[in-house]
Order: sequence, then structure tokens, then C-alpha cells
Amino acid sequence: MRKNYLSVLSGLGIALLLPFTALSQTDYPNLAQIGQRLQSVARDNAATLTSLTKTEGGKDIWVLKIGRGDMDNKPGVAVVGGVEGYHLLSVELALQFAEKLVAERSEALENTTFYVFPNMSPDAYEQYFSGLKFERRGNAAKVDHDRDGSMGEDTYEDLNKDGLITMMRVESPMGDHIPSSTDERVMVKANVSKGERGRYLMYTEGIDNDKDGNFNEDPAEGIAFNKNLTYKFPAFEPLAGDYPVSQKESRAMVDYLFDRWNIFAFITFGPANNLSSPLKYHAGDAKKRVVTSILEKDMAINAMISELYNETITAKAHQQKDQGTDGDFFQWAYFHFARLSFSTPGWWVPEMKNEEGKVIEDASENFLAYAQQEAMESVFVPWTKVDHPDFKGQNVEVGGIKPFLMNNPSYNKVGQLADEHTDFILKLAEMQPKLEFHNMISEKLGNGLTRITADLFNNSPLPTHSEMGAQSRWLRKIRVDINSEKKDIIAGDKIMLIDKMGPFEKQTISWIVKGSGNVEVKAGAAHVGFANLNVRL
Amino acid sequence: MKLKNWIYSAALGAALGMGTGFESQAQEKFFRAIGTPHEPKVEVSWNRYYTYEGLVDIMQKIAKAHPDLAKLESIGKSFEGREIYLLTISDMKNGDASRKPAMYIDGNIHSNEIQGSEFSLYTAWYLTEMHKDLDFIKELLADKTFYIVPTINPDARNNFMKEPNTPHSPRSGMIVLDNDGDGEAGEDGFDDLNNDGHITMMIRKSPTGRYIKDPMDPRKLKMVEIDEKGEYEMLGYEGYDRDGDGQVNEDGIGYYDPNRDWGWKWQPDYIQRGAYKYPFSLPENRAVMEFVMKHPNIAGAQSYHNYGGMILRGPGAEEDLDTYNREDVRIYDAIGKKGEEMIPGYRYLVVYKDLYSVFGGELDWFYGGRGIYTYTNELMTSYLYFHKNAGRGNQDEEMDVDKYLTFGDAFVNWEEYDHPQFGTIEVGGFKKNFGRAHPGFLLEQDAHRNMAFTIYHAYQTPKLSVSDVKERDLGGGVKEITATIFNERIMPTHSSQDLKYNIERPDYVTISGASVITGMIVEDEDFNKVKEQKHNPERIAMKNIPGMNATKVRWIVTGNGNYSIKVDSAKGGLAEWKK
Repeated sequence: MRKNYLSVLSGLGIALLLPFTALSQTDYPNLAQIGQRLQSVARDNAATLTSLTKTEGGKDIWVLKIGRGDMDNKPGVAVVGGVEGYHLLSVELALQFAEKLVAERSEALENTTFYVFPNMSPDAYEQYFSGLKFERRGNAAKVDHDRDGSMGEDTYEDLNKDGLITMMRVESPMGDHIPSSTDERVMVKANVSKGERGRYLMYTEGIDNDKDGNFNEDPAEGIAFNKNLTYKFPAFEPLAGDYPVSQKESRAMVDYLFDRWNIFAFITFGPANNLSSPLKYHAGDAKKRVVTSILEKDMAINAMISELYNETITAKAHQQKDQGTDGDFFQWAYFHFARLSFSTPGWWVPEMKNEEGKVIEDASENFLAYAQQEAMESVFVPWTKVDHPDFKGQNVEVGGIKPFLMNNPSYNKVGQLADEHTDFILKLAEMQPKLEFHNMISEKLGNGLTRITADLFNNSPLPTHSEMGAQSRWLRKIRVDINSEKKDIIAGDKIMLIDKMGPFEKQTISWIVKGSGNVEVKAGAAHVGFANLNVRL
Repeated sequence: MKLKNWIYSAALGAALGMGTGFESQAQEKFFRAIGTPHEPKVEVSWNRYYTYEGLVDIMQKIAKAHPDLAKLESIGKSFEGREIYLLTISDMKNGDASRKPAMYIDGNIHSNEIQGSEFSLYTAWYLTEMHKDLDFIKELLADKTFYIVPTINPDARNNFMKEPNTPHSPRSGMIVLDNDGDGEAGEDGFDDLNNDGHITMMIRKSPTGRYIKDPMDPRKLKMVEIDEKGEYEMLGYEGYDRDGDGQVNEDGIGYYDPNRDWGWKWQPDYIQRGAYKYPFSLPENRAVMEFVMKHPNIAGAQSYHNYGGMILRGPGAEEDLDTYNREDVRIYDAIGKKGEEMIPGYRYLVVYKDLYSVFGGELDWFYGGRGIYTYTNELMTSYLYFHKNAGRGNQDEEMDVDKYLTFGDAFVNWEEYDHPQFGTIEVGGFKKNFGRAHPGFLLEQDAHRNMAFTIYHAYQTPKLSVSDVKERDLGGGVKEITATIFNERIMPTHSSQDLKYNIERPDYVTISGASVITGMIVEDEDFNKVKEQKHNPERIAMKNIPGMNATKVRWIVTGNGNYSIKVDSAKGGLAEWKK
């Protein structure tokens, strides 16, 4: 169909095609569309598209490697989307970053190699495009979330047949919820200490299929990627599973990363945010054997990058309190993989004020006020009475804010968000550690001996190794090699290892070598790049 | 009485003679020693060590000789592609092995800790060969299953035996990592300078050396007093600087530790030295994990290491202390202390406080991650030499052992060698197969005793029966049926760690053949305290059936037909009662 249309248009010239594709996309892309866009990025010479594995649901886990020249020995930046399946925006941001990088910003490839993982939760992502929409996290594995011996036996039901899973309220004197006094649609907890009396029991929409008194506690979905990694792995919790890195996609990605010695930083688009404000350092937690606080010097790096983020991104932070959850990816990349790791949701519902000019505290009410301001239509499913087999003769209503809206902006907002975040990632990449040789002096000592002295300089506001990175075996040390024969090196090391170099730190190195001709010195490591020095004896 | 009859008939059978061959010769030449299979179908010498190929050969022979008792399978492949073989030992004609409470046993996770393989295999051999002779073993294999994996590190086992090594290397498997962070992996390992297959020590004469050779025993290096002049300096294990970085032996095979790779509170290498990429990132451990996940009947487990004479339980890490609660520790203590009696020189200890505090151990995952009562035995103790407690690696005692018991077999005498970097040196010291490994003459006895400990452990896995069924007429065609489910062993069907996280499904007690109105668990029969199960009452779900204890279930039913009651427990097996 589209082909025919294009061929009709072809006489009108290429210029018309771009607005066409831009117009055609009015909502987040489905998996097939993502696949097509990745293929089209991969048509650029600098990009290679690889499927790391197929998920339990048979979906590809893609990675785009984008770079030029000796890519494995240039510092790398990894951009990760879809760590949560309900976070459609994150996939789009990663994807648009890759598209813009090859099409408009390819000069960045001279010094940096990029790895883009557009979607780590394709099984869950697909739920948005299915007949029954809910904010899904788990993949397609069969899991017994409530650990009662039966798999997925109590999942959601669409009681009001609107294709959405929202909330369910049951009128009951034993309820603990009431409609909010400021927005009747929103249900809030009754404040018993202020003499309020609850009137509704709240549940997610569904039936207690296994009659255990709990609603939808064993949904028909599998393991959440963002709850399956090793840092603070929440063993046996729903969506986490029995042991960490148990899923094909988590294993495939982590295995791939352990072979990428050059990646120095991660940008994860996900619910956690350490960019609007940095992680906080807690001395007690940082000094225990099992480290659970960012290390002190790394907090300073985080603060500097956070400042860069806030300068680049126009939206003002609002209710950005999630700085990581157990078993998630972004914390793994720092605490267990020892790389600089940054995460942002990319978008959040901005702060709204009520008619009296006061900040709206409740997140749902804040969202509804925002939707009204933006003239968004039909964001709320009005409370509608349904017959419920578990509450016969009781007043049961289904309703609430539609899924996905509070975590994903309207698609027409995505363009600007992608531009700003692409800018941010490329500014971060520009800051990468950079080794250079300066002040080389070659002194003839007579009788065929030469003393070579040079300063190795890290020309970057970032250290070559974060405080965490310096402790990890999964980052290499800076290695300095001189190509003279061992027997010709009178003083100095043939191979020298440097643990780390701070921001703008220099280290003076010298050798006394015998003989004539050219001597080459090479210094570096994959994640900081290499500097070369040529000396004519 | 029974025993006598049996011995008689066996002797008769032999005399009537399959006639020729080994059996008749055995009657001619051998006299039965108590405790050992007398006419084993599979002949094995238990005073030597076996390579991977040797182990597999014995495993295949056992499976072939005892098809009704042993089954051989591969549970996966090692890094270098070797099959990891497991023997299932059970009375296959008497129940489904995968539904009997099971004991899992492995050895050799650390490749240099070799004898765990022989000990595991001895267990398989003993159980299959003794089955026909002993009522106890018959009952054991009717009730239980043993899953035995003699080596879960076959690649590096062979490397330890066939390539030059110290008693402590490789320890890891054969994946080669970059240990010094220079971007190259395994570029500077040991070098067997004297080509004897053992990596021993290098010493050099030096005016500034702080050691002398002991004039009473020149094998020994002694440190001189602070005010005395020495004659030798120590240069470490055999090797030279291969990559020219000024260091010797700094990057060999490994290094990682397969026993820091398991998925309970796993921590990365910077916190827990030796951890690999993530839990079960080593293929050998992954194979074991996948087998265990598929065999929820495993209720007890044993892993064999060396050395020091220890029966260890978790926690491995001090930070994991809360995982082990009082009820489970009581059971650990009961079995562990029995083990101390059975294996002289071995002490029952706790890893984190008596050995070291480490994360990611196999026993931690078996217990923390699966709720399986698990011990690690550190095989071989110097106590076995002279029944003295000289401690691990006591040089004087070891020299005496080699003088009076092994007559020089354990030590490579100092000899001069020309070293490319150090010049003239001397190479010598204890061989790799001394110290940690049992000398041959101590091997079989210790294997038997450790096996006896694992048999006791296996015996104490749950044994369930429907011991009593009572009926009471409630009038109006309705009756009450109360069944007592008895567990006649120490272990519950769910350890308290299991209960804390609902690791294993509940036990099910199902009535069939009666029309059930409702069902309930009887919490206190005397005062009629019950807990009703409204949903699916024919199948009562019980969280646990405690050890040495009875639990009661009750149904209110109609109808007068015959009915049956079935107990179905993942770790406790099956039991049935029929009216």
C-alpha cells in the first residue's frame, strides 16, 4: 500500500517524503515499526544492528553499535530504553537518539562509540498495542508470582469491557478510601487521625480467580527486566523470580556488556532519576562490605553531570523521587558493573497549581489538572457500576486514570524531548576521559643512551576510573607500553599499569633507552581511548 | 534370623555356581570384611585418584552393572565442552525416583580439591553394590533417591592432574581472565622449570637471604633469628616473567572461584573476590542449578571440598545471619553433630564464623535459594596422619609424614636450575598431590565415613505416611473423616527458610471417592480448632508437615463408598491410604 503511494509521489520529489513519515506517526511505534526504524538506522555505514537473543515471547532484543574506526578501543556510551515495558517513551528516546546520531550528529562518532539498546522489555511493551491495555512489566515467561503452586492463576479482567485495566472501588463500611475533596474522581486514603471515615475498598480491576482473598496477585505475565538484575535482587518477590539474571534478555544483554570493555557511561531511560538531582552519599552505607551508597567521589561526578542535564533539559523536575529500585538496571550498571550510570524518565507530569495558586500534592490530581490544561481528551474512565461475582449485591465501580498516560507524554511532545536528550547524551560523550601526551623531552645522554620524558595527561573533567571503577576487575587499568626491547630499556618499565587518573591529572613518565631509530609509546585502556607518542632517538 | 538365612542362601547360590569366573574365585581367595561390598560387580580401587575419564568410566560401569539401581545422564557441558555426568541412585523398580525425597551430592567444585569426586563415587558404588546384601540399604533406596555428580569442574580437574600445578591451583575452572588488568588474559602463569608436573618453590642463595636449610633436615627452610645471617631467599612458586612486566606468575588460569557464583545474596568481585559475572555465569554451576530447579524432590545436599576436617553449614556470610533461624539450625545441629561422631577428626562448624565470611557459596544457594539442608565437608585432616591436631599445613608434621609414612613420595628434593631472570636457583618442595589430597592409604576409610554421614542425612529427609484415618457420623448422611499425616524423620517437608519465602509449593492431601462438602486442617484436635479451606476442599494445601510430627486434615463428606487419601509433597514424596 505504502509503496504504491510512494511511487505515485515519487515524481514530486524526495522532499515530500519526510513530512509524510513524520505525519504518519501519531502514536508510539509498535514492535514491527521499531524493527523497521532500526533497520533503517542500520543502513548507515556507521551502524550495525544485532539481535542478542529472542525473549520468551519470541521478540528480538536489539542492539545498535554505532561508531567509526577502531570502535572497541574508543570510549563507549550505552543508551538503554525499555527497561520497563510500560515506559513507551523510553524506547522512542533511545530510538530517536540513534536516528539523530547517524543522520545529524555523526561528528560525535570520531571519538566515541555508541551502543543503543532500544527496548529491553519487548514482551511487556506489546501490551500497549493489544486489546487489553495495562501497564505491564513482566515478559512472557510463566511465573508463579504469589508462590502458591499455580502459575498466573489470578490475572486481571476487563470488567467494564473498555479494553483497559483501571481500578475497582467497592463501597463498604470497611473501606479505607474516600473520593478526594479537591477532585471527586480521585480516590485517596481516608485520614483516620483527622476523623475521616473510609467508604471504599480499592482493588485493581479484576476477579479473585483463585478465591484466596487477593485480587490479581498472580498476573499472567513473567519476569520484569528491571527487577531481575543482581544489585539488591529482591528474591522471590513478584516479577523478580527465584534468582537474578534468570531471563534470556537479561543474560544476553549482560553477557554482551561484559565483553564491552570500552563502555564508560550508561544512560538509561527508565523510572529512576539521578539526573534531575544526583544520588546522595551515605558514608555508613558506602563503607560497609556490601556497598549500597554511591561512593563519595562518584557523587561529585553525578552532581556535575546532573548540572549538565538540568542546563540542557527545559522541563523543571517534579516529584522525581525514584532514585532506583531493587534489582533494577541503572543501579546495576554502577554498583555491579562499575560504570558511570545515569537514569531519567525523560518526561514527567509537570507541577500544576490549583485555582488558589497552590501546588497540587496528589499525583493523580496533578495529572488531571495537567490533562485539562493540555486539553487532552478522555484521560479518565468515569466510575461505572459493574456486576462483580466476588461482591454480589454490593456497589462495585470500575474507573480511574487510563493506563500509560502518567508515564508517557502525548506523542507530539516526543520530538522536543528527544532533541534535548540527544543533546545531553552528546555533551556527556564530549566529556569522556581523554589521554594525551604532552611536554615530551628526548635527551641524549651520550654513548647511545637517550632519556625520554613525557607527561601523560587526562584532558577531561571526568577521571579515567570512577572511585567504583577503580575497584572493579571489569575495567582495565591504563597500560603504558614502550616498544623498545626489554634489554634496551636501561631505566623505566616496558609495561606499566596506572590504576587511575583524576580529572585533568598528569603523570610524568620517563625511560632511558639504548640505541637509535624510532621508539613508540602507547598509553590507554579501551574505556578511555589511547594516546601515542613517537620519539626519534 | 533373617540375616543368617540370607547369608546362607547367598553362599548356596554362589556354591551352586554360576560356576566359573570371578565369583567362585572370590570364594576361594577372599574372606568378607564387614562394611565393604564383598563381590562387587564393579571393581574399583579406592586408594587412588581418577581423572575425568576415569570417573566417567566407573560411572558407566556402575550404570551398566546395576540398571535397576543406577541411571547415568549428563546435566550439561563444561566450559571446555565435557559432559557433566550425574548418577541417579534409587530402587527404580520401587517407585518413581523423581518423586522420592532426594539427597544431592557433588564434589570437586574447586578443581584442586579432588577427593570429593572419589568420595561421591564411592557412595554410588557402595549403595549399588550393597543393595542386595543389606536390608537397611534396600529400604533406603526404596524410600530415597541419590543424585550424585562426582565432579562439577571436570575441565580444571584434568588440568590439576595432567598439567603442572601447586596443591592450590587452578581452584577455578578453565576460563582465563585478565587478573592484572593489563588487557591480556592468562599471559603469565606458572612455569614447570624442572618438568616434573608439580609447581614447587624457587629459592636462591643470597647474602641478604633470611632463610637457611635446616641442618637436621635439609628439605626444610627455616627463618633465621633477627640477628643472624641467612643463606637463602624465597622467590615464590616456579615461574618466570613471561610478559616482561617485572612480575612472575601474576596472570595464570582463572582467577575466579566457582564457589562465589551461586545465586543467594550474590555479590560482585570487588565485594566478594572470585565472583564471576553474575550468579550461574559459569556453565558448570548453571548445569547444577538447572538440574536442582527441575528436581524439587531434593531435600538434602552435600558438597565436598578440601581440606581441614570440617562439616560446614551456612551462613557463608555474616551479613546473611538472619537467613538461618532457630528451627532450621536445630536440624542442622542434629545431623552435623552426628557427623562429628562418625568422622573422627572432623568438626561441625559454621562457615562465616569458623572459616571465612563469603558470599555466593553453593551451600548458601541450596539453602537460602531452595530451602535445602546442605553441608560442605572439608575433606582430609592432618588428624588422620598421627591422630594429633597439628593443624593445616604444619610443615614439621608433614615432613614427618613423608619420612615415616610415605618414605619420600611427597617431596621434590631441592635441585639447581638456571632461571632466565633469577640466575642459579633451586627448585623443590611438596608435590601438588600432598597436603590437601589424602595419601592413598587414608582415602577409602575417609570416603566411607563421609558417605555414612550423607546416608544419615539422606535418611533424615521426610518420610510421610497416612497413619490413621477416623470416621465420625454427623447424622443426616454426613460424616467427618479425619486423617493423620505422619512424618517419621527429622526434616520437615519445608525448611523454615522455605516457609519464609514459599519457595516450594504446599503439600497436598487429597481425598477421592467421597463427595466433599468442605475440608480443613485440624490445628488442635482436642479443642476442635480447625482452619477451613473453602476453595477446592478435596485437595487440602498444607504449608508444611514438620519432622517427627503428625498433622491432621479433615473432610466433611457425604456418601458411603470407598475412598482414598493421597499425600503429595515435593520434598516429602508420596503416600497413599485406601479404604
